Amino acid sequence: MSKDIAQPDSSTMLDDFPPRTDTSADPVAARTRGLRKVYGKTVAVDHVDLDVPVGAVLGMLGPNGSGKTTTIRMLLGLVTPTAGSVELLGHLMPGGANWALPEVGALVEGPGFHPFLSGRENLFRCAAAEPRMVTSDIPRAVNDALERVGLASAAGRRYRGYSLGMKQRLGLAAALLLPRRLVVLDEPTNGLDPAGTREVRAVIADLHAAGTTVLVSSHLLAEVEATCTHVAVMHRGSLVAQGELRELLEAGNAGLLVSTPDVPVAVDALRDNRMPARATPDGVHVDLTTTTAPEVVATLVRSGVAVHEVRRQRTGLEDLFARLTEAENTTARLSDVAEPQPSTEDPT
Amino acid sequence: MTTVPTAAMSDVRTTTRATAPLGRVLRSELRFILRRPRTLVALAALAFTPVIAGISVAIAAGSMSGGRRDDIAGIAMLVADNGLILPIFVLLLAMPMMLPLCGAMWSADALAGEASTGGLRNLLLAPVSRPRLLAVKAFGVAAVSLLAVTIMAVTAILAGIVLLGGEGMLTLSGSTMSVPASLGRIALLTLLVTIQVWAVAAIALAISSTTDHPLIVLAATTGGIVLFTVLGGIDTLSWLHPVLLTDGWLDMADVVRDPLPADGLVENAFRATCYILIGYSLALARLTTRDG
Amino acid sequence: METKKTVLSFAAAGTVAGVAGLVLLASPAGAGEAPPELPAISPDDLVESVLNTEIPALSGSVALENNLGLPLPGMPGSTDGAEIRVFTDGEGKHRVQLPDSGTETTVIDDGKTVWVWNSSERSVTKVPHGADGKAHEKPLESRFADPATAARELVDAMQKDSEVDVDGTARVADRPVYQLVLTPKPTERTLLREVRVSVDSETRVPLQVEVLANGQAEPAVKAGFTEFADGPQDASLFQFTPPEGATVTEQDPNEEFRGQAPKDLFGDLDLNTYGEGWDTVLTATIPNDMLTMPFDEARPGGDRGDRGDRGERGGFANGSDNPLELLGTLGKQVSGDFGTGYVISANVGTALITEDGKVAIGAVPEQVVIEAAEQMK
Repeated sequence: MSKDIAQPDSSTMLDDFPPRTDTSADPVAARTRGLRKVYGKTVAVDHVDLDVPVGAVLGMLGPNGSGKTTTIRMLLGLVTPTAGSVELLGHLMPGGANWALPEVGALVEGPGFHPFLSGRENLFRCAAAEPRMVTSDIPRAVNDALERVGLASAAGRRYRGYSLGMKQRLGLAAALLLPRRLVVLDEPTNGLDPAGTREVRAVIADLHAAGTTVLVSSHLLAEVEATCTHVAVMHRGSLVAQGELRELLEAGNAGLLVSTPDVPVAVDALRDNRMPARATPDGVHVDLTTTTAPEVVATLVRSGVAVHEVRRQRTGLEDLFARLTEAENTTARLSDVAEPQPSTEDPT
Repeated sequence: MTTVPTAAMSDVRTTTRATAPLGRVLRSELRFILRRPRTLVALAALAFTPVIAGISVAIAAGSMSGGRRDDIAGIAMLVADNGLILPIFVLLLAMPMMLPLCGAMWSADALAGEASTGGLRNLLLAPVSRPRLLAVKAFGVAAVSLLAVTIMAVTAILAGIVLLGGEGMLTLSGSTMSVPASLGRIALLTLLVTIQVWAVAAIALAISSTTDHPLIVLAATTGGIVLFTVLGGIDTLSWLHPVLLTDGWLDMADVVRDPLPADGLVENAFRATCYILIGYSLALARLTTRDG
Repeated sequence: METKKTVLSFAAAGTVAGVAGLVLLASPAGAGEAPPELPAISPDDLVESVLNTEIPALSGSVALENNLGLPLPGMPGSTDGAEIRVFTDGEGKHRVQLPDSGTETTVIDDGKTVWVWNSSERSVTKVPHGADGKAHEKPLESRFADPATAARELVDAMQKDSEVDVDGTARVADRPVYQLVLTPKPTERTLLREVRVSVDSETRVPLQVEVLANGQAEPAVKAGFTEFADGPQDASLFQFTPPEGATVTEQDPNEEFRGQAPKDLFGDLDLNTYGEGWDTVLTATIPNDMLTMPFDEARPGGDRGDRGDRGERGGFANGSDNPLELLGTLGKQVSGDFGTGYVISANVGTALITEDGKVAIGAVPEQVVIEAAEQMK
């Protein structure tokens, strides 16, 4: 990507932030502390301390209804939090919306366009409201954005006639009308076919290459795994894990896969020695959180199990995701029993 | 998309403004309203009403008898061979329901309608601050209301001259006014009617700011107008009448009395202004606290 | 958040201002205002100045309130906000406009001719002044639209039989006024308590007349200016040219001119008075057939723009087919030298209508109208 694109100046951005007290040393494009949102008696989001590092592509992962969209809406100042604080590009939200949002491109809760206008006219309307847009450059910016999402040929058609995928792309185009410091995409691949999904990934990669921070939410793990540098996992309104994708992948690797012809014997032998083992189609999986690889091998050998191969398992993010959310599910269910409304308890 | 050079966006210039130029946003809003098919349908209907009214009066001229004794019928008696009073007749005809409904419809589309498509969110994210958003929406509704009333007045003038003829305007007081003076009275009524439509639209905008369903706005506004009209017809509630927006609507026939009795007209406009103030204030409060 | 608070306080202020404006509209003008300070004046001097003041050139609006429960001859039932507009040049030319919803009756006396324009019929009635150069009689509609003259006539007629007093000051049509109060002398047999005339302190023009009955807080009849401005008037106000296409009828000035007033009850009556002062009784004779004529036919101008025939207050339209039948339901039957009739009593007056068409009506007890009826031929 060309270097003409306005790049965020990370040093000034750092100055905009109050002194940092947390352990992370990286400058952040967005940050929430103790974020909480209650609708009536429903707690949608609670205790969310999210950091979106500058330059990162952060994937916000979680099942539908886990609070991703609510968090994003608070991040963008669309919703006032019940408690907690939000900083966006150095400005406290929602008060700083006028200063932060011009440099943020966002596609939230699906594209919001008017059916009786063409795609191009819809974008013109968006562009007119953009503070940083130079009036004389609007037609060019609109055309560029349309080309970028592959809608140039359909730009004159009424939005009413667009397919779900085309609507989604138009929303993406609106977020990309101007060079941004932060682009927030809420479920950008919703309704897209595989080709469309690949194109969105390419756009995210372009943005990343240009130094733009990207926050992308998804309930599809493969999506996040394919595009993100960082990941934040949400479940039932809480942030259950966040960090660099690589680190989280490492953290999830604590497993051994043992190839053996005697699967049941191996499982029994390991369990007798209090090692968490389960049978998988590929062999026996041993969790290494409470034990080590040499001990596992020694135990198997002692028990006379034939071992073809032992290797460290590289789990996908899917496994991590499943594990985190399952754990959360379990604890949540347990605390549901103990305490009817665990998430409403006061942080103090 | 991947085949498109990634530098495509690179030569778009940016400024450091915190808000988009107001004129640009207002123009964009107007263009948006005027592209909406139902706006065009409403404007066309309003433009067509005077022609229909003019033709009916031209056909019925002379055979009209005072079967109905109300304001509209009173003016109708003067319409035959008195083309320049047709705009007055038509505007008063449209005042009790047609024009207020149009105003309410534009207000319904402005906030509730935009919220239902998600367009409102796009504007908030641009960002357009909430007070400014309300100002832009109020401007759009006000401008298209003025346009609607003006279109009606202008087509009525043309229809009146072509279909009914007459020199100058015969007033309710029996005097005949010169053409420029008549046009002045028509312009005055156009303005006064517009202010009343603005008042309805302001209240509708306040309702519009509380919901995502434009039809609720239309239903609530229509219900309110009907309720006010009913209350206005109950004599024992006469102490309440000065507060009812609908109360003085038909008294605007005063513009065709000679000399012009200004008091009632000024009071009408003042009452409407109070409603405008209340409507926009409530809309502002709601829009500021509402989740986007 | 500071900006949000600011915006919300603006919104609150706007709402309060709007509501305050509406409350202002609903509050009666001048309520709670202290009465103006005026130099003291003796009742006799005030009466003197009222009777001797020439009514100057003026323009104004007149509101009428009739709480009698019966229509007064020529008095619109109620003007309900729509006020009568009056103009006079002080030299005999008048313009009176009676607006009704979407219609108007305009009476213009240009000094030579009285013109009556009726917009609902697009008609003009033209009555040239008589040979003596004076309008023979004012049309009924405009009589009540002139509280100044009405008050003068009333004061003139009543002062002999009344105690006259000045009861402080007040404001009428936003002008400081003296309140001239006439109360009946003890010898008068009347249901009325007092007549209150508000006299403009500057021009000495009576601006308002109120007639109050015994035991009633609200005036039974009230006629007064709601707006009043003295000063020269535009001469064009007193000119009238019948518009093209209007029906013009000319009336003989020597015929009693009744304008567009209701003809069914007050038209062809032989009006006389009996007694004087407070216990004056108005007597009339109704053509015999009118009492038994069905209502529809009794109103030749059925769809005219006049108000008196609506019967909203008179209770004509309660299902009775003819006046006599209606009287039977409304009144008390009495008989005497005059024959048989019905007495209708209201708070402020009594009416007697006999089966042969004699009518006696006055602001008096029953006995007085019966006496009056007995005097009738």
